[in-house]
Amino acid sequence: MSFDHIMSVTIGGLTVGMIYALIALGYTMVYGVLKFINFAHGEVFTVGGYVAAFSLLAMGIDASTPWLKVAGAIALALVAAVTVPMVLGFLIERIAYRPLRGRSRIIPLLSAIGVSIVLQQLIIIIFGPKPVTIPTLALSSASVSFLGVNVRVLALVIIAVSAALMIGLTYLVKSTRIGKAMRATSQDMEAAEMMGIDTNRTIAFTFLVGSALAGIGGLLVVMYYGSLKYDAGFLYGLKAFTAAVLGGIGNIPGAVVGAIVLGMTETYGVSVDLGFLAWFVVAGLVLGLYVQMVRVPNRRLAHIAADRRTPEYERSIMNVYRLTPYHGIKTLLAERTDALLSVSAVDAVRLMAGNIFLAVLAAVMFINSSARIDTRWQPVIAFVVLMVILMFRPSGILGEAVTEKV
Amino acid sequence: MEPVLELQDVSMSFGGLKAVDSLSFTVRENEIVSIIGPNGSGKTTTFNLISGLYEPHSGDILLKGESVAGLRPDLVHNKGISRTFQSLRLFTNMSVLENVLVGMHSVTSAGPFASMLRLPSVRREEKAMYDKAQEILGMFPGRFSGPRQHQPAFSLSYANRRRLEIARALASDPVLLLLDEPVAGMNPAESHEVMEQIRMLREKGYTILMIEHDMHVVGGVSDRVIAMDHGVKIAEGTYDEVANDPQVVEAYLGKRAADATA
Ligand SMILES: Nc1ncnc2c1ncn2[C@@H]1O[C@H](COP(=O)(O)OP(=O)(O)OP(=O)(O)O)[C@@H](O)[C@H]1O
Ligand SMILES: [Mg+2]
Repeated sequence: MSFDHIMSVTIGGLTVGMIYALIALGYTMVYGVLKFINFAHGEVFTVGGYVAAFSLLAMGIDASTPWLKVAGAIALALVAAVTVPMVLGFLIERIAYRPLRGRSRIIPLLSAIGVSIVLQQLIIIIFGPKPVTIPTLALSSASVSFLGVNVRVLALVIIAVSAALMIGLTYLVKSTRIGKAMRATSQDMEAAEMMGIDTNRTIAFTFLVGSALAGIGGLLVVMYYGSLKYDAGFLYGLKAFTAAVLGGIGNIPGAVVGAIVLGMTETYGVSVDLGFLAWFVVAGLVLGLYVQMVRVPNRRLAHIAADRRTPEYERSIMNVYRLTPYHGIKTLLAERTDALLSVSAVDAVRLMAGNIFLAVLAAVMFINSSARIDTRWQPVIAFVVLMVILMFRPSGILGEAVTEKV
Repeated sequence: MEPVLELQDVSMSFGGLKAVDSLSFTVRENEIVSIIGPNGSGKTTTFNLISGLYEPHSGDILLKGESVAGLRPDLVHNKGISRTFQSLRLFTNMSVLENVLVGMHSVTSAGPFASMLRLPSVRREEKAMYDKAQEILGMFPGRFSGPRQHQPAFSLSYANRRRLEIARALASDPVLLLLDEPVAGMNPAESHEVMEQIRMLREKGYTILMIEHDMHVVGGVSDRVIAMDHGVKIAEGTYDEVANDPQVVEAYLGKRAADATA
């Protein structure tokens, strides 16, 4: 495992992660204000990519086009890849979601799936079923030396552009008038209305921003991979949605973190040797042991009623978490224990099982340290990671935006 | 004095329950009018009708002579009616200061592009908003000073949340301020303080319609009192008149008890 290889895998993972993030932001923002998943969002991304590709094709650029003209063409493609998805997102909300607002949550969800199918068919009808391919541009194949490693310029552009957009979005949501209106709407729509906020407009604006970001994602994907298929929105959408859930749905920084974790995981998973990957499992194991030995028991100790708070009792709780042969196992086998102890024992067994699994996994990986996971497993890796993280943190890495109720 | 708010025979029911029944009353400029009445008598529903959350089934609601009945809540707010909530509805994840700034939404205009570009007009507006927010929060001495303004609203004490609701409602300089039980859950010292603040608001020229159970506060600030029971206005007048009205006593104590005291 050379440094160069790790470096280029990292940049590759970050690039994919940033693209997921651009799409994931749309899912998470809409979830924030409407509390439902806009499943048509993946198709909005595809439309952005198609519109961008066809704009580039229409302008007839290829590898020999002078760079100024290429830059102009990309700028125009960008405008198209932003405006068309924006109009589309706006119309989707207006036609398919707004009339259903206030109904039970399954109804707009069905509507979203319907819109997604309609859009996919429309893409086939309008653009044809074959993938759209753009000519190789000098920009797409250019590479630079970055920290001694050869990196595609486009990867760095994608990372930089996405990062800038995310900073812009954070500023928009945190500090501007419309951003405050968005946050107020997402917390309590009725109260926001009674405080003078036109929530319909705020929601429409949320769709506009989310769709613009997805459209830019579409353009970047087309330029990076050179082609796009009509059903690309399905897998990209699903992964971006996964990323949003992974980071904590409704949480904007969470979507970015989730997307980067997902992009990195699936790229690392199939691009580096097991021996290297095993170190990540070891890191997970260290975290797992910390959770089992320190974090969870301390939280439990804090719940002990004052009149039972004897050193012996505290020690037996700790022993359960460490599953020391005497106390831990005795507690598990005892027919009657008090509630806190038995809850702790179940907890401890669960945590310990997880940690043993991680230890075995790491050992197996170290033994086969020069093997690699077949690329076909890539989507599987991503979803296994999702499930594992959500098992231990149901609210996602950064958690859903917390709303404390009175 | 010119009427600011006028309810004309307003009715509203939930299913078969008449929550508000042919209710008529007027609030004049710079007046403080209190609505009292037992639990479930339709007071909050009246506020919800005025602020546009519900549309009256019949009757009309006029703000300065212009009908606002059935208007969308945000448009009602734009016309100058702002309110607080009995069951606190702050934006709990936003800071104290942000809650007040959100309250200014309808009296500010910065668009998304201008905001992102930080045009001079936006900066001027933000500065003005900030100063105004300081002025409003300053009406609650010592409660929202310095770093406390940047704490999330959920971290506030109960009484401070009530104060912040008032501050948020004041942020748009409303023509009419609706306060739904502003001292509920406060101790006597705290409610006395809020009472002083309500008096101060009148001196500043505000017109206030208030729902309150605390008779000390009602008696202390009201120019007029309206009593409701089962959605119907059963009495109106000065605090003393209403408090001694046999129908009001009956509504609160039940018929027998009322006869016994008579
Ligand atoms: N959204 C609603 N749906 C159905 N019934 C409602 C609704 N809101 C209020 N009601 C009913 O309407 C009646 C009046 O309620 P309202 O909240 O206006 O009373 P209130 O005078 O504010 O009482 P309180 O002093 O307890 O706040 C009550 O019987 C209540 O149960
Ligand atoms: Mg009420």
